[in-house]
Amino acid sequence: MEIRQVVGSLVCTHRIAGLGHWDLRLLQDTKGKHYVATDPVDARPGDWVFVVSGSAARYAMGDAGILTDLTIGGIIDRWEEERAAAVEPTSATSATTARAA
Amino acid sequence: MKICQVERPLVSTNRIPGFEHKNLQVVRDGSTQQVAVDAVGCMPGDWVICVGSSAAREAAGSKEYPSDLTIVGIIDHWPPETGAAGSGGAG
Repeated sequence: MEIRQVVGSLVCTHRIAGLGHWDLRLLQDTKGKHYVATDPVDARPGDWVFVVSGSAARYAMGDAGILTDLTIGGIIDRWEEERAAAVEPTSATSATTARAA
Repeated sequence: MKICQVERPLVSTNRIPGFEHKNLQVVRDGSTQQVAVDAVGCMPGDWVICVGSSAAREAAGSKEYPSDLTIVGIIDHWPPETGAAGSGGAG
């Protein structure tokens, strides 16, 4: 699963029946690249979410008949604070490297 | 399968029912971060192996489980000797 930020909704009236009437959200990764995902959890713009891709995205909709390859699996409770604290494991690795050297 | 390092748990209260209450972990594979279902119970800093695609679904519990990345094992010793390529691990 990947972590993405919701930047808006996508209105798409003319669509295949296989997509149902599910909400579509416009997502963005940290590099600014855009993605579209089906949204069963009602995420809002600004929310950080994790997304399921591939065939698992169809199961994530609760119905493998929904023809999506990207589904929002859940809204992340906290992200910015945790990202700031995320350096620990990698610094442990570099400490090992320093010891080895 | 790929080797990743566990960074921290990912807390997501508002999630689809299909994920049940299984633990999710933010894992790092080189420079990219991903989210994986934790089927073994790992800790931040652990090096783990992750499976993708349909194996990820079954490894997380069932063929219908909506995971595309599942942690299936904790590596006992990794990296073996990170700086060893240059320094020669014997000493």
